[in-house]
Amino acid sequence: MLPDHHYFLPLFLLSVLTFCYSCYQRLQLVAVGASEERCDRPGERLAGVISYAFGQKRVLSRPFGLNHFVLFWAFLLLLLANVDFLLQGLVPGFGLEALPAAVVKPLDFLFDAVSLLALVCVAVALVRRVLFAPSYLGNDYTKACSGEALLILGLIATLMVAFFLMNAARIALTGGGGFQPVSAAISRLLAGSRPTALATLFQAAWWVHAVVLLLFMNLLPRSKHMHILTAIPNCFFRSLDRPSVEPREVFERGRRFGVSAVEQFSWKDLFDSFSCTECGRCQDLCPAHNTGKPLNPRRIIHDIKVNLLQNGPALKQGGEGDLPLIGAQGEGTCSEEALWSCTTCGACLAVCPVLIEHLPKIVKMRRHLVQEKGRFPEELLNLFENMEQRSNPWGIAPSERGKWASLLGERSFKPGETEYLFFVGCAGSFDSRAKQITVALASILDAAGVSWGILGKDEICCGDSVRRLGNEYVFDKMARGNVQLFQEKGVKRIVTQCPHCFSTLKNDYRQYGLELEVLHHSELIAQLVSQGKLTVPKHAVMGKLLFHDSCYLGRHNDTFAAPRAVVEAATGQAPGDFERSRENAFCCGAGGGRMWLEELTGSRINHERVDEALKQKPDTICVSCPYCMTMLEDGLKDRGAEQVRVKDIAEVMAEALKR
Amino acid sequence: MDTTKIKKPRGIARLVAGKCIACGARCESSCPVSGIVMSEAGEPSIHAEKCIGCAKCVKVCAAGALEMFYTPEELELLKKWEAQHGAVEEELDPAERELRAMLAQYRGVWVFIEQYQGEVAKVSWELLGAGKELADKLKVPLSAVIIGLGVVQLCEEAFSYGADRAIVLDAPVFEHYRTQPFCDALCHLIGKHKPEVILMGATGQGRDLAGAVATVVKTGLTADCTGLGIDDKRNLMQTRPAFGGNIMATIMCDRFRPQMATVRPHVMAMPERLPGRQGEIVVEEFDLREQDVLAKVIASISDKDGKDQVDIAGAEIIVSGGRGLMGKENFYMLKELADELGGVVGASRSAVDAGWMPHSRQVGQTGKTVRPKIYIACGISGAIQHLVGMQDSDVVIAINRDPEAPIFQVATYGIVGDVFQIVPAMTRMVRTLKEQRGGVIPDRFAV
Repeated sequence: MLPDHHYFLPLFLLSVLTFCYSCYQRLQLVAVGASEERCDRPGERLAGVISYAFGQKRVLSRPFGLNHFVLFWAFLLLLLANVDFLLQGLVPGFGLEALPAAVVKPLDFLFDAVSLLALVCVAVALVRRVLFAPSYLGNDYTKACSGEALLILGLIATLMVAFFLMNAARIALTGGGGFQPVSAAISRLLAGSRPTALATLFQAAWWVHAVVLLLFMNLLPRSKHMHILTAIPNCFFRSLDRPSVEPREVFERGRRFGVSAVEQFSWKDLFDSFSCTECGRCQDLCPAHNTGKPLNPRRIIHDIKVNLLQNGPALKQGGEGDLPLIGAQGEGTCSEEALWSCTTCGACLAVCPVLIEHLPKIVKMRRHLVQEKGRFPEELLNLFENMEQRSNPWGIAPSERGKWASLLGERSFKPGETEYLFFVGCAGSFDSRAKQITVALASILDAAGVSWGILGKDEICCGDSVRRLGNEYVFDKMARGNVQLFQEKGVKRIVTQCPHCFSTLKNDYRQYGLELEVLHHSELIAQLVSQGKLTVPKHAVMGKLLFHDSCYLGRHNDTFAAPRAVVEAATGQAPGDFERSRENAFCCGAGGGRMWLEELTGSRINHERVDEALKQKPDTICVSCPYCMTMLEDGLKDRGAEQVRVKDIAEVMAEALKR
Repeated sequence: MDTTKIKKPRGIARLVAGKCIACGARCESSCPVSGIVMSEAGEPSIHAEKCIGCAKCVKVCAAGALEMFYTPEELELLKKWEAQHGAVEEELDPAERELRAMLAQYRGVWVFIEQYQGEVAKVSWELLGAGKELADKLKVPLSAVIIGLGVVQLCEEAFSYGADRAIVLDAPVFEHYRTQPFCDALCHLIGKHKPEVILMGATGQGRDLAGAVATVVKTGLTADCTGLGIDDKRNLMQTRPAFGGNIMATIMCDRFRPQMATVRPHVMAMPERLPGRQGEIVVEEFDLREQDVLAKVIASISDKDGKDQVDIAGAEIIVSGGRGLMGKENFYMLKELADELGGVVGASRSAVDAGWMPHSRQVGQTGKTVRPKIYIACGISGAIQHLVGMQDSDVVIAINRDPEAPIFQVATYGIVGDVFQIVPAMTRMVRTLKEQRGGVIPDRFAV
């Protein structure tokens, strides 16, 4: 009854060959990239594969992810059914049938039931894409109802239907089917048909299933469904350190700085581009995209892929591609404006279900623009000059750094005596608004009896802005300077009042061999509260208070609880959340060096965030970052809502301690 | 008279207590016999038994912290020796003599005249004023160096601002400023005429050219000087802020020539223009072919957007408005005041964002950095991003409702109050004063 395998064998072989060839072509392109170590600590990597790939951890973080979860597992289980199917087509009688009935019967049931589930999921997905498509599925180069998406859904549905018809026809002809409830139900509809008709139906369903299966397989490497093949390895090769920390650059004669052509990316960067599932979640959260900027993180990954595919043939022969990676050439090319629009908030990194690293690619391209081309928005000229000469963004005299502490007496860090180095940061040292936070934190530390000291005029900028802006050379200088200073002074513990200093000292400086205990002030204050070293005499009155998550504290360092705990301790009640909060929080617009750039395209990121807050009519917005402070205060003034106060968590706590 | 030849006593070097500035062991490195070692505090201790009395350390010490010590017998001997040889004649070693000969070859003060399509940067005229004083002190002529295409007519303008001589290079290859041809040409002129002082504006062009020229001719260059003078040895004293403006450093270039300095616009006073003043025009030639210049000028794009020709960066009086002005229409109030004072209107970022003023008027971190003589901040709270763009103004007058506004921290005069009352009152006041003085800006406002 099985179809003639003489016809199937050549078809199968041909399909496998073309499939392998397609995959080989893609992998060859990936190999064009620069080398990068991504196989260390295999245990940790495997654990990641289990939770992110097989557990679909990120996929499930959104309600509709469940549908994909079911489809994914149905796909894995049915892979076994399809191997069986193919084996039987190649070698009649050879397959799962040969196993004992105790194994075959449960499997029959499983495949039957899972196929139904898969069919339902496909239908749900189709309805969603056609009728309730969320806006982020589409963008300027694809639509929610793209032909490709519909074709794939159609093919999967066809496979399921053919599978049921095939089994139903067989059950109607030969009986059985006790363990295949769905197929058996269909077979009852076929009861009374002539045996020859049933045999023809079986043959037809079998061939449809076989052809569609092979077609599907060949479609994979040539579509966004390449992710079926690459997502799992991509989870394995993920960055084990913070993916937001860009790799260090070596400054030597003859080297290139940054990425100007697709082959200068690492192989993992290129592999990322083949792993994108086009789910659009990064696009949905991106603050730049949401406010009408030309940046779309998904588009960056897509452009890298298109560029690689187009330049691939030349690159494989050691030549150079025609299509530039950075420029205004449309698809396959990233525009400079898009690259400068990124706030490095890391929302794309945190949401990507297959762990694609968008942000470092953007910074690598910025590095090329800054270090090899000297091409950047003109406002940055001032910033870079000030950073290089005075080691602060405003070009203020370094001797001004420690002046805020002059009223507190001698507060310099004494090696061997002082426990915490208070790394004040540029904003905290020079910006009159942020200085109030600095003073508030100092008073809290004093109230808790913490031993702390500052470096004063010797402190230099941590280099966060210059690093995110691609001026790696200046960052490198600053990082070396700071690390040497910390080592000379024998610093063991650092507290910062700025999440940018915090993340840079804690994560980026690891590349320079510095592994210290670095705490953001929210963490230290929360610790002091929980240790009973800080007791609040009377709660601070802040009215309705919303807490705004700083990207560099929250998403980049998973610190969500500490600042909220501080607010709760100070005010007696847990702070309210924005609509988009914690991992999904929306950036204030100042990160990634955007603080120093004009925002000329689209609407203002800080306005969008302030509007989101004002919907809840708060009295106070609480922040944990001097940049957020500036952006939200400005946004509130622009919106005529100056009655809403913006306070740092330290100010709220200091207020509570005062009474 | 005793005619036996007396050997000049050399004495030994010793430290003058309390004068050492711990400059970094210049004396130690000058000592030919390694007789000086530095103490922990960075002060020298001199091994008297090693000292040969060459006095090199005394000469090299910038603080006058080292002196030659003579025993009474030696002093006696010294007197006799001086009587024999004449007291003033100095004993020079060959290197010193050579140096003095070299220095003597260089005479004259030059000012590089920066121009774009025949329009001269104001700073060049300011420098002619400063250069004139130097030239008078040195008793040498002041030359204006003009390089470009069709620039001969600028000579008269240069004479009217005080130049005695104009050195002109007029050729098509100099039509647009490019580092290489200008550097080569200026180095050629320096080699030929050997000036002792060259001044340039600390503009984009001046900074670029001065650095290149100084590197090629192997001399020192002091950037962004705020004061220039001449010492008793004909050396140029170049004063500029150092260490973030916390100290003023006077930098000398006493062993190399020419002495080069750049000065920012508006630092030196504009000299009086004397039309009809005459001078000598020296037309020079320099053989440079266009094809030998690697950099090509493809197009010149002006950063003036065509609509707004006002350059606030160069203005001497700026009346700036911020969010406190509440609306675009209220900027007319500032315009009125600015017009009365002969100034221009600027804006803070929030006013520009609100669309009240064009971006070209924005003062601050992401706008323009200004250094006017008077900056009047109206309704500007003074966020750091704004302060860094205007805090170097000579006089800052801040008007704001909020007495806590950070702008008051940098203000020379602060007025806490309503801008809508204060600004019109100021305008009326200026107008009245002007009427009283016959339509001119009163002296106390004149700049």
